[in-house]
Amino acid sequence: MPTEFFKKTLDPVIALTAIAILDIFMFLLIGAWTVGGGETMMTGLIAQVFMGDELERLPFWTLVFDPDPTYWKIYISLGMLFGAFVSAVLSKEFYIRVPRRLSEWVMITIGGLLMGIGIRLAFVCNVSTFFGMGPEMNMGGYLAISGILAGAWVGSLIYKKILEG
Amino acid sequence: MSAIGQCLVAFVFGSVVGLLVQRSRFCNTAALRDAILFKTYRNTKALLVAMIILTIGFTGFLTIGEGNPMYFDVGLNTFAGLFIFGVGMVLAGACTVSTWVKTGEGNVGALWALLFTFVGMFLFSLVWSVNYWPPAPASMTGEPNLEALQLGYANAATLQEKLGVPAIVFGIVQAAVLFWIYRAIRRKEEAQAERHRESQAGAVALAQPAE
Repeated sequence: MPTEFFKKTLDPVIALTAIAILDIFMFLLIGAWTVGGGETMMTGLIAQVFMGDELERLPFWTLVFDPDPTYWKIYISLGMLFGAFVSAVLSKEFYIRVPRRLSEWVMITIGGLLMGIGIRLAFVCNVSTFFGMGPEMNMGGYLAISGILAGAWVGSLIYKKILEG
Repeated sequence: MSAIGQCLVAFVFGSVVGLLVQRSRFCNTAALRDAILFKTYRNTKALLVAMIILTIGFTGFLTIGEGNPMYFDVGLNTFAGLFIFGVGMVLAGACTVSTWVKTGEGNVGALWALLFTFVGMFLFSLVWSVNYWPPAPASMTGEPNLEALQLGYANAATLQEKLGVPAIVFGIVQAAVLFWIYRAIRRKEEAQAERHRESQAGAVALAQPAE
């Protein structure tokens, strides 16, 4: 029953099994699921709005990511936003949540910055790591998985220290 | 496929993913953080199952020359970048998927993390425009370039090409390793559940009045 679907929490193993099967179709049609590339292109497009032709003075935006609104990876992210919004509304789980403590805002800000820097340094995000390169047995997948595990461990130690005050 | 067609396929795929992730509360950050900090594996198991399916699927199609694998050189930057990312995602409490999904649920903190991910990317573009490292895709050769700390490009398809062994064989080995990890987690969970049952039974026995 569709209404039941929006009442209960779905087992993540079932959800990820379905996503993996769809990801195989994506791999055959265009390329495996990825998020970081689309986010970088969005960054370039937003920067272009503010900077105009001045952006071309930064070689990154001509040699690595030339802003292009028809870059398909952008639309995976926009689709996720749309799908999550529709799902949250249908399951009556949409409501505005705002972090209350200043420490949360600080951690989210630093965390966001590190994620952006890390994705661009690596040329790969966590999604490409686990849902693209890793299963393709790309050498970069093993480097990326080692890196993210080490990073998550260090991050967890920091997080624990902050939680313990 | 045309560019518009690709964008449409990507949007439909993203929408279904957004819906499934929202309904299942799957989080890549939690898959790693919860296993490290709290020894709970709800998300870790789902991640492993997906990777097993994908490994068989991708390497199976690579064996017959189908599919669109990622093609770029990797190196020290791949490890270092994901290390920085790993620290960041635990601090932010969200990864690239959950920032979009939680934003769709009305989470302002996730939107803030997303905005600062963009800021981080732009800051990196400033630095890259000065030092040009890691090498731009146009200058990648697929071969090791130790001067630029690059190891080149290799995946199941290149292994098949070099060794003459079908890519799926390597895929089956990787899937078996992932399944072994999955089974070890299941056993650990069963042992945890057993200990929990025993401690509860002990508590009930203590609460019984003596005859």
